[in-house]
Amino acid sequence: MIKIDNFSLKRGSFCLSNINFNIEDGQSIAILGETGSGKTMLLESIAGIYRGNSGCIYVNGKDVSSISSNKRGIGFVYQDYCLFNHMSVRENIGFGLKVKKMDKSLIDMKVNEIAKQFHISNILDKNPSVISGGEKQRTALCRSLIINPRVLLLDEPFSAMDPNTKQILIDAIIDYKKKYNGIIILVTHDFKEAIKLADTIHVLVKGKLKATKTPSTLFMASENYEVNTFLQCNTRG
Amino acid sequence: MRDSKYPLEKFEILSFLITSLVFLFFLTIISFIVVGGFSSISKVFFSKEIRFSIGLSLLTATISTLIAIVIAIFISFYLEKVKFIKSPIISTIIELPLSLPYLVIGLSLLLIFSSPLGKTLRNMGIPVIFSPIGIVVAQLTVNLPYAIKLIRSELTKLDSRLEFTASILGANRTQTFFAITLPQIRVSIIIAFALCWQRAIGEFGATLMLVGITAMKTETLPGAIYLNIATGDTDMALAAALIMLFFCLVTLLITTILQKKIKVKSRYD
Repeated sequence: MIKIDNFSLKRGSFCLSNINFNIEDGQSIAILGETGSGKTMLLESIAGIYRGNSGCIYVNGKDVSSISSNKRGIGFVYQDYCLFNHMSVRENIGFGLKVKKMDKSLIDMKVNEIAKQFHISNILDKNPSVISGGEKQRTALCRSLIINPRVLLLDEPFSAMDPNTKQILIDAIIDYKKKYNGIIILVTHDFKEAIKLADTIHVLVKGKLKATKTPSTLFMASENYEVNTFLQCNTRG
Repeated sequence: MRDSKYPLEKFEILSFLITSLVFLFFLTIISFIVVGGFSSISKVFFSKEIRFSIGLSLLTATISTLIAIVIAIFISFYLEKVKFIKSPIISTIIELPLSLPYLVIGLSLLLIFSSPLGKTLRNMGIPVIFSPIGIVVAQLTVNLPYAIKLIRSELTKLDSRLEFTASILGANRTQTFFAITLPQIRVSIIIAFALCWQRAIGEFGATLMLVGITAMKTETLPGAIYLNIATGDTDMALAAALIMLFFCLVTLLITTILQKKIKVKSRYD
């Protein structure tokens, strides 16, 4: 279970204010919001990159607010992959296991296994700079999933992706959720993705959570004017 | 880039003229060294003194640059990534020697190593003043701020999210530094090494103040040029200058190739 309790963070002139939500194991949420609404900053805070000014983040009942990102057991996939270009695809995927000093043969075995599941076995020895966008995103997802994270954070992972690749990734994420009873937090602009993947949808406006909805009630009018404007604009788009 | 089919504008013609004048001026400087140096280059190989100065310059420049780069990596990492004491004074003081005349740096070094500290070091078997160790110290002091500036600018350009990603995947700060940060800026470190080495080979002011120029002891290549001019042996001075020019040319070629490599890499990343 993950609980965000009254979390606030100020960076420069931008502020995430009083964020509150809970996610049970095996659940997924989507955070919708305009560009600059603080979605990525919220994800990065949950991952431990930024330490909040106030409030707490609990993972399985334990306050992880003061625990560094390398000890939180969280997986993170950025929109533009953030692959290590000085390493091969195989080394990228196995990185999280290598830093835990796992035996090399075991790392190879696990990398081969997950690569097969994501249909990227043929590119394992290539450099990330020569593979396609879809392959890059699958590599980034494999790299995050191989460490069996308790929480998977996805920062607009499907943008600019062809429908086939998108479906492969969505299936893999749903599979992860079922198999490991994992928690997924998805940040997206795409309402269809949010509806497909999330059990709960939060709308973030200017650093504040303004509405909490379910896929079936997403387009129902909200009490908040800014939320309604955002939803209407995107429905029209 | 402009299309060559369009007529040139006045500003473009002016920039071309200025470039041509400066090009000719520099070409003249280089030509004097090349033409003058070539006629007496064979003398260099028979001169024990010049051969010594080449060897001393190569050795001291390599040692001082290696030390400068290692220290600069740590300082740049602190200034860009750690900064638990956030003060602009720290980086200002560290980079200030860049804008100081090297003679002033040399004078300050001379005073430091003439103090009881210098005497203690001498008693410990580490003489700095009037010794080759002093050459390394002078080159290091002059080059360190430059190396820090070069490496810091690369660290600033590095996408922090790569380090975040490594950290989220379980890497601690040391693992992240050696597995991600350092490999990401490795080509720039090699470029910084080449540029600092080139500067160390040509360092004269601070070295002159700290160790003087003693033949077969503290005579570096720039020192050899100075001594030969002072004694009226212009041919030998030009030959030594030609060797320095050769070193600079090789370093410039290496850095240009590496910089092109970085550009190509970033285009495909």
